[in-house]
Amino acid sequence: MFQYVLKRILIFIPTLIIISIVIFMLNIFAPGDPVEKMLGATPEGEPIPIEAYNAERKKLGLDLPVFYFAISSAAYPDTLYRIPKKADRENLSRLINDYGNWDKVDQYYKSTQALNDAVWAVKKDSLNPSALIKIKGAANNLSIRYKDKDIMKAFGKIKKYAEPIPSTAAILPFYEKALASYNDMKANPTLGKTKIPALNWYGFGNQYHNWFSKFLMFDFGRSFQDKRPIADKIWDYVYWTMIISLISIILTYLISIPLGIFSARNKGTRADGIVTTVLFILYSLPSFWVATLLITFLCQPDYLNWFPPYGIGEVKEGTGFFGTLGIRAYHLILPLFCWTYGSLAFLSRQMRGGMLSVLRQDYIRTARAKGLDEKKVIWKHAFRNSLLPIITLFANVFPLMISGSIVIEIIFTIPGMGRVLFEAIKYPDYPMVFTVVMLLALLSMIGYLIADILYAIVDPRITFK
Amino acid sequence: MFGKKKGNDKQNAEQKKELDQSYWAYVKRQFRKNKRALYSFYIVLFLAVIAVFADFIANEKPLVCKYEGSIYFPVVKEYAVDLGLAQWPKHFQNVDWKTINYDFAVFPPIPYLPRNLDYSCNYCSPIGDQPVKSTRWRHWLGTDDLGRDVLAGMIHGTRIAFMVGIVAMGLATFIGIILGAFAGFFGDTEFKMSRISVVFTLIGLFLGFFYGFLSRSYILSDSFGEGSGAVFKQLLLGIGIMAGIVALANLIAIPFKKIKFLAKPVTIPIDILVTRLIEIIVSIPTLVLILAVVAVTEPSIFNVMLVIGLLRWTGIARFVRAELLRVRRLEYIEAATALGFSKLRAMFKHALPNALSPVFIAVAFGIAAAILIESFLSFLGIGVPAEVITWGKLLAIARTAPAAWWMAIFPGFAIFITVTLFNLIGEGLTDALDPRLKQ
Repeated sequence: MFQYVLKRILIFIPTLIIISIVIFMLNIFAPGDPVEKMLGATPEGEPIPIEAYNAERKKLGLDLPVFYFAISSAAYPDTLYRIPKKADRENLSRLINDYGNWDKVDQYYKSTQALNDAVWAVKKDSLNPSALIKIKGAANNLSIRYKDKDIMKAFGKIKKYAEPIPSTAAILPFYEKALASYNDMKANPTLGKTKIPALNWYGFGNQYHNWFSKFLMFDFGRSFQDKRPIADKIWDYVYWTMIISLISIILTYLISIPLGIFSARNKGTRADGIVTTVLFILYSLPSFWVATLLITFLCQPDYLNWFPPYGIGEVKEGTGFFGTLGIRAYHLILPLFCWTYGSLAFLSRQMRGGMLSVLRQDYIRTARAKGLDEKKVIWKHAFRNSLLPIITLFANVFPLMISGSIVIEIIFTIPGMGRVLFEAIKYPDYPMVFTVVMLLALLSMIGYLIADILYAIVDPRITFK
Repeated sequence: MFGKKKGNDKQNAEQKKELDQSYWAYVKRQFRKNKRALYSFYIVLFLAVIAVFADFIANEKPLVCKYEGSIYFPVVKEYAVDLGLAQWPKHFQNVDWKTINYDFAVFPPIPYLPRNLDYSCNYCSPIGDQPVKSTRWRHWLGTDDLGRDVLAGMIHGTRIAFMVGIVAMGLATFIGIILGAFAGFFGDTEFKMSRISVVFTLIGLFLGFFYGFLSRSYILSDSFGEGSGAVFKQLLLGIGIMAGIVALANLIAIPFKKIKFLAKPVTIPIDILVTRLIEIIVSIPTLVLILAVVAVTEPSIFNVMLVIGLLRWTGIARFVRAELLRVRRLEYIEAATALGFSKLRAMFKHALPNALSPVFIAVAFGIAAAILIESFLSFLGIGVPAEVITWGKLLAIARTAPAAWWMAIFPGFAIFITVTLFNLIGEGLTDALDPRLKQ
C-alpha cells in the first residue's frame, strides 16, 4: 500500500514537469513581446528607451536563456538570448538560418541599430516631416525583415528620402555602413554551419527554471491587463470554481448512488427502462447546448423569464447569511444543473452496472438463500462492494468537473477560472492564460492522484504494476 | 411437410453462418444483434454521405444548367477550378448564380451555401412566412442574423465535424496501435537490442530530430501560413527524415556487431516506458491544453485536430496492449517465430490483426469526444477560423439572439445526435466484444 502510494506520487512529479514544459514552451511561442506589452504603448510609436526596456526585461526574468539546454545548428551563437528585443532576436535567428555567418550577421545587426539611432536622433524641421516618417518606417523594417527583396526595398527608401534634405542627409554615412555590412553578410555565407547540430548547456539560471520554481511558490507574475500580480487576482476565481465543483460533486454522489441502486434493483421493469433511457440521453447531451437552451428559454423575456441569465448575483451589504444564500442559490441553480447532470448520468450508469454485476455474485445468492430480507441483502452485502468502483470514479469525475467548469462559467458568466481563462485568451493576456491553464491542469492531476490513492485504500488487492 | 423442410433449410443456413468462426465474422454477428448500435451505424453512414456530398446537397450553384446553348455542371466544375485544372468562363465570373438567365437550371435541394447572405431575410423563422420567391427558395430551418441559411450551414458543418473526428482519431489510432503493439507484444523482457544499436539509435534520434525538424523549423513554421495541406506534408517529411536517419544509424551499426562487447544484447522494458507515458498523457486535461494551444496559434482546425490526436491515443494503446499481451502467448505466434519469421513480422502480420477489434470501441468514443471538443471551441469562437461555418458557431449565434429559437435548437441537436450515435456504436461494440456475453 505505502509503496504503491509512494510510486503513484513519483509518477505525479514527471507528469507535472512535462506539462509545465509544454505550457512554458507555448508561452515562449506566444506572439508579441512581453516586455513591450508590460511597458505599454509609447507615444507616436517611438522606440522604448533601451534602458527602460532592459530594466523591465530583467524584472520579468527574460534576460536569461530559455531552457537548461538548447539544440541548434552550429551557426547560432550560444549568446543569442542576450539580444534584448524579441523581434530583433527572431529576425536575427532568421538571418542566421539564411546565411550562417554569425559574425557578419552581428555586424549587420549593429550597423542597423546605429542607423536606427541616427534616424531617431534627427530633429523634426519644416523640410522633413513626411520624409522622416517614411525613413523611420524603412529603418524599422530593416530590423524586422529578413527577405533580401524587403531589405533592399527598405535601403532604397532610406536613400531616396534622406538624400535631398540636409537634416536627414546626416544619416547617410550610417546608411552606407549598414548597406556595406549587409552586402558583406550576403557575400560570405557559411551555410554549411547551419547543417551541423550543436548542443548548448546553460545550467539552472534559465527562464523555465525560474518560472517553474516561482510557480510552485505561487508567484505567477503579473497580468498584461492591469499589471497586477496574478496571484492576488486569481484566488477569488479559484474559490468560485472550487465551491461550485464541490457542491456539484456532492450532489452527483448523493443522487446517483440511490438512483443507480434503484435502477439495478428493478432491472427490466418499466421504471428501470425510463431511468436508463433518460440517463443515457443526459449523458450524451452536450452541456453547452443545454446551457444555451436553458438561457434561451428560461432566462429571456421572449419566452419564460424565470432565472437570471448570468452572474452570481449582487449581494448588498448587510444582507444576512440566508439572504446571501438565497441570492446565490437563485443564480446558481441553472449553472449547477448544467454542471452536474453529465457526471450524474455517468455515475448512475456506472453504479447500476456495478450493482448488477455484484447482484450476480454467488455470495448474494447465498445471502438470499439463507433467508435474509431483500433490504439487508442490498444494503449490507451488495452495496458496499458495488461502491468500490464508484469511489474510484472520482478520478474521472473530478477533472470532468474542472473542465466542465470552463464551459459553464463562460456561458453563465460566473467569475471562476474558466471564465477568467476565456477572457484572458480573448485579450490576449498570456501570463494569465498560462497560469490558469497550469492551475487547472494541476487540479485535474491532483484529482487523479487522490482517486488512485483512494483506489488503493479501498481495494487492498491493487498494486502498482 | 413443406413447412418442416423450409425450417430445416433455415436451420442449415443458420448453422452455416454459425460455422463461420473467424474472429471478424463473430464480432460482426455480435454487433448485428444490438439493433440500437446497428441503426446508429447506418445513420452515421448516412451522415457521412451528407458530409462527402455536402456541395451537391447545399450549394448556390446549379447542379446542371444550360446557358446560351451550352450545358454546364457548375458544382462539379468548381472542384476542377479549385484544383487549378479549369477556369470559369467569363459570364460565370463574379456572378450571383441565382439571377443568371438560364435556359434551364437544376439547383441542389438546398439552393444556398452557408456563407450566402440574404438581406431581405435575416432571422427568418422556419415556421411562418418568409420573404422568398417560392417554396423552392424557402429557408427550411430559418436564417441567422445575416440571412444565412441554417440548414445549409448544418449540412456543411457535418463535413467539418466528421473531418475533425476522423483525422484526429486517425492520428490517435496510428500512435496508439504502434505504441500499444510494441508494449503488449514485447512486454518488458522480449525487446532486445545490441549495445551498439542502442547507442546508434539514440544518436540517430538526435540527428533525425535535428535534420527532420530543427534545421527545417522555418520551413515548417512558414508552411503554417500556406494551409493545413502544406503543414501535413512538411510534418510527414520531417518524420520521414527522422525515420530514415534512425534506420541508417542502425544499418551502420551492423558491422560493429562483430565485436562481442558491442553486440551484447540489452533488454529494453518497452512496456514500462509506454505505460508510464500513457499515465502521463492521461493526466493532461485535453480541453485545457487545447485552450492553451489555441491561445498562441492562428485559428486553424488543423491545430485542434493535431492536439486531440496527440492526446487521445491512450485508450487505443491500452486496448491493443492488453490484447497483444494475451495473443503473444498463443501457439500460432510461437509457430510463426519458430518458423524463423522476425518478431516484427510476427507482430504486425500475425498478432496485430487479431487484436484490432477493441480499437474500434476506443475510436467510436474518441470520435464522439473529438466532435464535442471541436463544436465547443467553435461555440466559444476560439481556435476555428472565422470563415468556417460549424455547428458550434451556429449554436453560438443563439446566444446573441434569444428570440431566434431555431438557432438554439437545430445546430445543438445535430451535435447531440452525432455524439450520441457514436457513443451508441461504441457501446454496441463493447457489448459485442465483451467475453462475458459470449455464452
